[in-house]
Amino acid sequence: MIIKGGIVYDPANGIYGDEMDLFIDQGRMAMQAKGEEIDARGLLVMPGGVDAHSHIAGKKVNTGRIMRPDDARLGTEPRTAVCRPSTGYTVPNCYAMGYRYARMGYTTAFEAATPILEARHTHEELEEIPIIDKGALTLFGNNWQVMECVRDKDLTKLAAYVAWGLRAARGYGVKIVNPGGGEAWGFGGNVKSQNDIVPNFDVTPAEIIVGLAKANEMLNLPHSIHLHFNNLGKPGNYTTAIETLDLLKDIKPSRMRQVVHVAHMQFSAYGGTSWRDFESKASVIADYFNCHNHATMDMGQLLFGSATTMTADAPLEYGNARLTHNKWSNHDIELEESSGVVPMTYFRKMLVNAVQWAIGLELALLVKDPWKVLMTTDHPNGSPFVNYPEVITLLMSKPKRDAEMATLHEQVPKRTTLAGIERELDWTDIAIMTRAAPARVLGLDDKGHLGPGADGDVSIYNLRPLEVDTSLDHVLVKKALANAKYTIKGGVVVSKEGQILATPPGRTFWVDAAVPQVDTDRLMIDLEEKFAKYYSIQIANYAVQDAYLPHAKVIRAGLLIEPLPEVA
Amino acid sequence: MRTITITPKKAFRISVEAENISPDKFASLNIEQIKSLTVWQGNRKIMLSDLFTVEGDDAPAKAEETTIRLAGDFFQVKRIGEGMTAGVVEVQGSIGMHAGNNMLGGLLSIAGNADDWLAREMRGGKVVVMGNAGNYVGGGYRGEKCGMRGGEIEVKGSAGAYLGEHLCGGSIRIGGDAGDFAGAANQGGTIFIGGSTYLPGAEMSKGTITVKGEAKVLPSFLKTEIVEVDGQAFQKYAGDLVDSGKGELLVGMGSS
Ligand SMILES: [Zn+2]
Repeated sequence: MIIKGGIVYDPANGIYGDEMDLFIDQGRMAMQAKGEEIDARGLLVMPGGVDAHSHIAGKKVNTGRIMRPDDARLGTEPRTAVCRPSTGYTVPNCYAMGYRYARMGYTTAFEAATPILEARHTHEELEEIPIIDKGALTLFGNNWQVMECVRDKDLTKLAAYVAWGLRAARGYGVKIVNPGGGEAWGFGGNVKSQNDIVPNFDVTPAEIIVGLAKANEMLNLPHSIHLHFNNLGKPGNYTTAIETLDLLKDIKPSRMRQVVHVAHMQFSAYGGTSWRDFESKASVIADYFNCHNHATMDMGQLLFGSATTMTADAPLEYGNARLTHNKWSNHDIELEESSGVVPMTYFRKMLVNAVQWAIGLELALLVKDPWKVLMTTDHPNGSPFVNYPEVITLLMSKPKRDAEMATLHEQVPKRTTLAGIERELDWTDIAIMTRAAPARVLGLDDKGHLGPGADGDVSIYNLRPLEVDTSLDHVLVKKALANAKYTIKGGVVVSKEGQILATPPGRTFWVDAAVPQVDTDRLMIDLEEKFAKYYSIQIANYAVQDAYLPHAKVIRAGLLIEPLPEVA
Repeated sequence: MRTITITPKKAFRISVEAENISPDKFASLNIEQIKSLTVWQGNRKIMLSDLFTVEGDDAPAKAEETTIRLAGDFFQVKRIGEGMTAGVVEVQGSIGMHAGNNMLGGLLSIAGNADDWLAREMRGGKVVVMGNAGNYVGGGYRGEKCGMRGGEIEVKGSAGAYLGEHLCGGSIRIGGDAGDFAGAANQGGTIFIGGSTYLPGAEMSKGTITVKGEAKVLPSFLKTEIVEVDGQAFQKYAGDLVDSGKGELLVGMGSS
């Protein structure tokens, strides 16, 4: 395939809006190729979009669907010759996830939180999401085995467990959600800071986070730890964020990437002592990111309208349910986690929501280096991912932000700095925040760029970047981003002007990390006891079988081998 | 006033979804264009004229100047008048499920009976049924927090179970009896039942339910005072106490 004459943004390879031809041969970017020609003359061309933090598969997503038949009605689309029927808006069915990402020009999305015990369900759903490539991060932050290894300061056993857990879950990386808090929730409690003692385990959240970060680097994993802070969603939590980040600044990364990725930073950049004096501390957080290089974040942008909150932070969801009198699902995941789901509507005239909206944008605009900020809505917590074009145009257009702000609670300019921010992102920034940076943050070498050998994932939009004024013509830009002119996945046109043309199955990435057998042997003594005493299933039935990942892509890592980038 | 008459060509074995039968959808169209509007029968997408004859004034007119007359049996035809904002839909026989759902204005009048989900999530306008109505009149569809929010529903006969479930506003008047759980989860609407019902107002947090006949009242309702309405004595209750208890339930203290 040859893509002719596009205006290409490929920041990972130093290409910032150059007119050039692109070639795809056997599904990969190449120097030369023959075959189908696609006319992209003058049009915006970027690598396929990469979403590093989204909730697209697994038990809590499905719980959201079960709780919200009202949501299913919002997104029904009948089947076509190529597509199965779609349902849902905040919690779409599996098929719709694939179609809707592809329509926007996205070709990769990662599920951000899966307990090992429920990973089989996650993979069953991932396999049913067509077109896009996927992966799932594995939850470790409230795991008994993790906390015991941390308490015993047994880092090699911890690394062995992380490797074993990733393999059992066919997981991609280490996710940590309100460490210690989920365990405390089993007894109706929570932890109030990173220095609280977790009940019954004699460890602190800080120790869990540092221990897992060290194990993560010891194992040379492609992704860093992926952290949802303690106290997330509470007024005044920005200090927790900064103190926690400071714990990690001296850890050496094993690869050319961050040591910690902060999930949905917006929910952890809050000032004030209560919801009454609630205010933005985005500028303090942004300063920290501007002065340090060990951390990246994704926005977790909130948009007004319908959302479904879902997280392994179960005590947070209890608070949401009390606040909104809405439906609530609460779930205990044995020795691993707890979780919750609550539907939510965000309102322009509600001060807290309006300030939250502003905080996400402030973060993305105040952090100077776009490689440190990924564009997300923490789908579907802040807003469903189909609204990414809205977020992108807000970042690119000050007039649009001003017009929006005029419709919000009048206190927003006093409680945030957004009104004074003049910065408008350009296509290079956007290509970084939606393509190059998420791929780099995840450690996906073949994603997010268009160099030879990269995956043949390209998105072409009905926009002329050399002509369109993204500041003034934001309506046009948003429309063009919603339905790519072409989305090409692995060298196949999967979507054209909003029409799905092909639905090849996507691959699922997981990380197989090698550790010395002696450490695994020591670990198995602990695990066999736990399964015998506490788990509801046998250890032999625990791990996800390969049959659940017919399109697996294994990435090797670990202690023993020289890090080969990947083996098919 | 423009009048358009629609008649089924035969009895339907497989039900039909016809949300395009609405004054708003017809307003800007001539008869030929109306005939080619989409309807679904089962999983088949077909044209209105495949199943119905369409006759009447050819010239387009505003929705508020449009009357749609449905002649014959429409009990197998769903979603008629969905989201209509103005005009009149006059049903000479009975009508299928979800009639007048999400209605915003205008009049839907039904000479026969109405099936389940009549005027669910209605926002405004008026629905009148001369016969009986099925379950979930003015309710919220599965998962929805709010049913009817505004407007008026009048059923001369009786209504099925879950009358006005999740009601957030508006008023419903039933001439005869209502089935189980009338006004469940009422959050601010008004219901009047001329006959009797069973366990009204479960989980109600606001609004008023008046039952002229008899009602089995949940134990989570608190007897307050006896009031007189139109010459009849009613026992008043506050409830549902499992929620805020700010709802009002009045049950007639008739002859018994
Ligand atoms: Zn998330």
